[in-house]
This record gives sequence, structure tokens and C-alpha cells, in this order.
Amino acid sequence: MNTKPLNTKPFSSGLSENAVTVTRVADRQWHALDDDLVVGRGYAEYRPDGRLFVSIDAWHDAAFNQLAEAMLAELSAPLYTVVDEADAELTAAWQRAGFTVRRREWEYAVPTSPRVTGLEAVLPPPGVTIVPAGQADEGLLRAVDRAIRDEVEATVGWRSMPAEVIPRPEGDTIVDPSKYAVAAAPDRYLGLIRVVTVNRPRIGLVAVRAGEQRRGIARALLAHALETLHRSGSAEAWTEVHESNRAASALFQGIGARPMSSNLELVR
Amino acid sequence: MTKDKNVIEVEGKVVECLRSAMFTVELENGHRVLAHISGKIRKNYIKIMLEDRVLVELPPYDLTRGRIVFRYRN
Repeated sequence: MNTKPLNTKPFSSGLSENAVTVTRVADRQWHALDDDLVVGRGYAEYRPDGRLFVSIDAWHDAAFNQLAEAMLAELSAPLYTVVDEADAELTAAWQRAGFTVRRREWEYAVPTSPRVTGLEAVLPPPGVTIVPAGQADEGLLRAVDRAIRDEVEATVGWRSMPAEVIPRPEGDTIVDPSKYAVAAAPDRYLGLIRVVTVNRPRIGLVAVRAGEQRRGIARALLAHALETLHRSGSAEAWTEVHESNRAASALFQGIGARPMSSNLELVR
Repeated sequence: MTKDKNVIEVEGKVVECLRSAMFTVELENGHRVLAHISGKIRKNYIKIMLEDRVLVELPPYDLTRGRIVFRYRN
């Protein structure tokens, strides 16, 4: 924990008669008050990877600035936040508070029709079969997930992977095994793809063991997942790709995925 | 402890996705507001799209603006 003890002492700028006053109302929550009205709120929240993310919702720049000042004075660095890159005003506000861009992640709209993606004839390499979502062996699935995560951690680390992190008990990384399709060798799983649909399908993860990459396994997993979505009536899926992940960008752009927006992760 | 008694929350539907991460939301009463998304939604990478049903906070002194604080499952 790197938060300091709860301090409910008002934090006031004194700029005017109706100055905004910032009060820490809970361990990780702040309110900006103007004449007893809440004009802004700030939150801090730990990700499962231990990083502390902050956010501020304010109706005015003055409230934002004062919330940021109060929060940054009471929280220990490093602090992270996420902005839509198109939201220039909010990005500038965080930069005024001392935050800098740490990573950029593109959101892609991915077509599902095999005629558009060109994946209709794609098959897994010899000796590899695709096991549809809901049919994977849970033990082998957890084993391949752990192995891939360990490989990532030993190289670039998960902090440079797509940033959405779902809370999970006991460090378990498979929240719902039914959401994963896998690429299977006779004795073990080689790769996996996770697709979750909440309002619209989102490809949350495509990964292949380090020693099995460049064999077309990720492409075969993607072909399977997109065809499944196409058959179920979804014309598009969504995914996010870190801008430095050239292999993933090339994979998605090569099947007609369109970059729609970008998120910036800022750090101070 | 202060309460957000000044915040008005209304359900609506996203009818337009604009540049600068803004959205036009049509509220239940037919009124349209220009809304951005809350920090919590952004932090959790929840994607807001056309026709999504959302919960919008409105400031009591400017009912043309809003903040999307929740996206409902369809």
C-alpha cells in the first residue's frame, strides 16, 4: 500500500469567495465542493498488478486541477491514468498535473466475415487442432496460460501488454474457461484465444507459447474465433493492441481490422 | 461526508459518437445532451458505442452536458 493515512482536512485554493474545496471522503476518494455542491470527484484504485490508477471527473478545469493537486499530494508515485487520445482537453489536464505518456494502445474494429478477413482457407499447422471455446480441458488450459504469462513476464513483462486486468482470486488468470478456444498438440496446448461478448464481442487475448510462434497458430486461432462470431451473427469484434506490438498489429491489419481510436496510459 | 445530492442521473441512449471522445445521448424524455465518459469507465476500458444504453450524470446548472457513468448490458 502506498496511500497515506486518511486525511479529511479540507484542501482549499482560496482563489475566490466561492473557492473549490477538496476533501478526502474515503481512503481512495476525493470530492471537490463548490458552495456545498459536489463539482468533481477523484478516485484511486489498485490494479491486480499493484499499480495505482487515478481518475478525476470534474465539471470545470478549476475543480480538476485542485482535485489533482490534492490527490497527488497524498498519494505516492508512481501513479497511472488512462485517457482517450482524442480527448485533448483531458489529456492536457493530466499533463498539466505532471503526467507523461507511457504507452499507446490502438482499438481495432475487426471484421468477422471470412470473405473480408481472407481467413476462410486458414488451417492450423500439421499436428495442431483447434479446440472450440467451452470444450478445452481446464487443466491444460491453465497450464498454457501460466506458461505464456511466465514467458511474457520473463521478457517484456505484463505491464506492456494490453492494460485491461480482470480481478482474480489467488492469482488465477483464467476467470471463465468457457471463453477460451485453444490450439492443441497431442500432449499439451500451444496457444489460446479469449473472446468475451458484453454487448459486442471483444478479443481480449491471443497468445502462443514462445517456442511455437511463427507457425501460423495465432492466425488459425483468430480464423476460428472470427468464423464462430460470424456464424453467430456478429459482423465485427473489438480488440486493443499496444502500438509497439508489431506482430499483433500486422496480424490484425492484415485481415482488414481498422484502427478506431487510441488510449494513452499516462504516468507520473 | 458530503453527498452527491446535486447530481442528476438519467438513463439514455447513445445516438451519435463524436470526435474528442464525446457522445450525443438522447435521454428518456427526448432531451439530448453532449456527454463524455467517466474516469471509471475509461479506466476499465468499457467501450461506448452507438445505441448503447447508458446512465448519464447531469450537472444541475447545465442540462446540455453530461457524463456517462454506466453502460447497461443490452
